[in-house]
Amino acid sequence: MANTQAMCSSFKGELLVGKHQFGAVTLVSRTSLTAPTTDSFKAALYLVSATINSTTTAYSATGEVSGTNYAAGGVAITNATAPSVSGTTAIWTPSASFVWATVTLATAFDACLVYNDTQGDASVSVHTFGSTTITAGTFTLTMPTNDATNALVRIA
Amino acid sequence: MENTLTSSAQPLIYTSKGNVPIDSVKLEVVWDVQDGYIKFTERYRDANGEVVKESAHVFDRKGSFAAGIAGSFA
Repeated sequence: MANTQAMCSSFKGELLVGKHQFGAVTLVSRTSLTAPTTDSFKAALYLVSATINSTTTAYSATGEVSGTNYAAGGVAITNATAPSVSGTTAIWTPSASFVWATVTLATAFDACLVYNDTQGDASVSVHTFGSTTITAGTFTLTMPTNDATNALVRIA
Repeated sequence: MENTLTSSAQPLIYTSKGNVPIDSVKLEVVWDVQDGYIKFTERYRDANGEVVKESAHVFDRKGSFAAGIAGSFA
């Protein structure tokens, strides 16, 4: 088993039905919800022994890390930067790092699942970073540059 | 009368064994540079070589990507 970096396939399909709301939008012709609010997103960490990848459809506690000061479900994502288009690529990147402070995560982990906490924990993407353990310390996941080449979520 | 504050106490650092003098632990750092990420690990060991504090900081260089494809009638 292994974790694999990917954009979740279910997420791509759900984009076509408007399930995910990364930023505020004013819709024109819908009969209701003409100004839906932005969804809340979260990030959870997964053990090296887990299997999360493009086929992951939703957050699950199976294979998630556990340890001192780690809350199941992970941390809330700060989303102050609305999605945008750079050239021909749609991009979105959280506006702050993901931080787990003063934690002890003794079992090796290597992946982070970004998921939509508002829409039934629907998965967005998986990000891997090599086997890691934390002892009475801090784990920080710093976001990439929000451009067409590096943004956390890119659709070209 | 001049009042001077002096202290010989060492700064303390929080570890899995509580707050210990900074001089009692040894710091080692590891950089892991990959195409997709850069990871910096700071690890403190006590006199017995046991890891008593370890933090890691990952810079995700590239996120995930999907290509939108318009179908053809051909």
